[in-house]
Amino acid sequence: MSDVEFIHDAVSRVLADTVTLASIQEAENRKVPIRLFDALADTGIFLMLAPEEYGGVNANLSAALSVLRASGAAAAPGPVLETILAQRLLTQAGLDPTGGLSTLVFAQPLDGPAPGATFWAAPPPFHEVPWGGLAKHFLVVWDSGTGVRLVVSDCSAWRAVPGADEAGEPRDTLQGENIPVTCSLLSGASYDELLRTAALLRAGQLLGAIEWTFNCSVGYAMERKQFGREIGKFQAVQHMLAELADHTLASAAITMAAAERCTDTMVAAARSRVADAADAAISIGHQVHGAIGFSREYALNYRTRRLMAWRNDYGSVFYWRHRLGAQFQNLSRDAFWPAVADAGLSSLPTR
Amino acid sequence: MNATTLRLELPTLPPAADELRREVRSFIAEQRADGRLPPPTKVGLGFSAEMTQRIAARGWIGITWPSQYGGQARSALERYVVTEELLAAAVPVGAHWVADRQSGPVLLKFGSEEQKRDYLPRIAAGQCFFCIGMSEPQSGSDLASLRMRAERIDGGWKLNGHKIWTTNAHRAHYIIVLARSSPAESSRHAGLTQFIVDLKSTGVTVNPIVGMPGEHDFNEVLLTDVVVADSAMIGTEGNGWNQVSAELAYERSGPERWLSSFRLLSELIDALDQQARPASLEELGRLLSHLLSLRQLSLSVAGMIERGLTPNVEAAIVKDLGTKFEQEVVRVVRDIVSVEHLTCHGREERLRKLLVHAQLWAPAFTIRGGTNEILRGIIAKGIGLG
Repeated sequence: MSDVEFIHDAVSRVLADTVTLASIQEAENRKVPIRLFDALADTGIFLMLAPEEYGGVNANLSAALSVLRASGAAAAPGPVLETILAQRLLTQAGLDPTGGLSTLVFAQPLDGPAPGATFWAAPPPFHEVPWGGLAKHFLVVWDSGTGVRLVVSDCSAWRAVPGADEAGEPRDTLQGENIPVTCSLLSGASYDELLRTAALLRAGQLLGAIEWTFNCSVGYAMERKQFGREIGKFQAVQHMLAELADHTLASAAITMAAAERCTDTMVAAARSRVADAADAAISIGHQVHGAIGFSREYALNYRTRRLMAWRNDYGSVFYWRHRLGAQFQNLSRDAFWPAVADAGLSSLPTR
Repeated sequence: MNATTLRLELPTLPPAADELRREVRSFIAEQRADGRLPPPTKVGLGFSAEMTQRIAARGWIGITWPSQYGGQARSALERYVVTEELLAAAVPVGAHWVADRQSGPVLLKFGSEEQKRDYLPRIAAGQCFFCIGMSEPQSGSDLASLRMRAERIDGGWKLNGHKIWTTNAHRAHYIIVLARSSPAESSRHAGLTQFIVDLKSTGVTVNPIVGMPGEHDFNEVLLTDVVVADSAMIGTEGNGWNQVSAELAYERSGPERWLSSFRLLSELIDALDQQARPASLEELGRLLSHLLSLRQLSLSVAGMIERGLTPNVEAAIVKDLGTKFEQEVVRVVRDIVSVEHLTCHGREERLRKLLVHAQLWAPAFTIRGGTNEILRGIIAKGIGLG
């Protein structure tokens, strides 16, 4: 079994063992899911994108996507994506991965610390930082206009104004002055490329939650009886679930393809397509479940609320749609098809 | 759980397919340079016997069939590449489309050796066009209720009945007729048989049906005491339903379901300039994301067909999504053209014509080749409901 397969198996086991309704609900009371994160750390998941010389696995994005898909399906709380990506960013900046609970933001402020700086005198406030007041490390990926910088600090150095997203998970504002930082140049990486990686991984979590919602809704429709038969026997219900099957399969296809080929076009397409699928999963999932799906005691809402919370992370849906439209906007009629056809294939015909 | 029954395979195209794609693109460039491929003002599959001849000369009709029947024994993925390149460039492929996509494959799978030797090489040579004899006035979505009668006579069969919505019956050579050859006793799907009928036979009448766009593509085909030999029967007597199901899977899985109005999107993109509003680009981006996703799904289906699987449910998903997508294309292009004033003062005349034509066709997208309601029934069954 390869390292990547081992991690995937181990993560699946950890998610099944530790993510319960009770543990998800605890996270909604600003409690760090320590048990989950300790168990996940043991699987090696957080170092999976880090290079081998830093003790990582150097897995590709498809492998990372598959574990985040599983975490999204399980509605796992906490900054899972952020902690994985942070370890890779640290190593890219030549720093040692900490493995600790991490959060991050992408920012384009006008001013910030220079590489080598040890203090950030007057940082702007950072809003809606996932677990900002409770994580250990806070990473700012800063597009300075003259290269990408990684500004690393301790979350505890900031004043956190608590906030929460639709799923009830913390999204805090971090503010402060004279924050001790490590500022490094992220050489060999562009801001857009790093943002794409984060956006793709979030798409993986969204996809997992969509697939879970689809499966759960089909299962419910086969069990729940009204008018003396399973509601899944009614054509109106069948057609809704067929539509959700369409959305689920289409978004899986584009997201998996984008992990293989993490270009601007493919990631933008994945994020736009998955957003439509998420909307369909929310409306159809709840419509099929009827009243019971609305209850906090029933599992559906934990996926629904995460779909709402994640949909516009790491580039809003409109941002990615606009970006995709703009890439094709100036093509001639005859150049359009080759651009579409060549976007999604790993072996490319050259003209 | 149930989603695992939906199959998805990321496509990797063999190097031969890339080479073939380059060949098809240079063929298209040549045709454009020679003035044989003017930018279209209509959506849908154009009909040109001359273009079909030129495509046949390149060996791209029946490309997957064995060489003894005029084919090239190439993979389903290679066929997929040829079809998507031709469709995206709006090459008029309508003359050979039905024969290449479904009539030929059905003969190859179920036909007699004599039928294969007779028809397949002529289809591959671009000389023999087929049309589909399934729908009837009283049998649309409920195909098994059809009334076309096949009565056994000495040495053959006598056919009586009425087919309708038959695309190209007025310019094709043969029609494959699905008929009831014995009463539906055990099941309503039993007792159906397929026959090849020469459209020049005595007793065949073809009447035009003009559609909403004002064109003659459809026909009704009346069969009155049409006599065919035993050798005209395809496959096994009474096995028609199974054979037609296989045929419909070919009919439903192809890229034509989301590429038939692609040229409208091409023209829109050609006409858009730097001044386009952010909202227009967002709408365009959303469409493109659906287009790119559909293509990944289509390639996945083509890959499964290549491996000998029958991805009927996944094909139904492609057609359900693809036809809805095409209707969205028409709506979004209309709205962007309007807000960006792209066709004012006589500008972009071709785009305007295409848009009018596409709007008139759009309601048919989700009906032809099986309504989306029928497709959703297939999908529901495939995910364990029904």
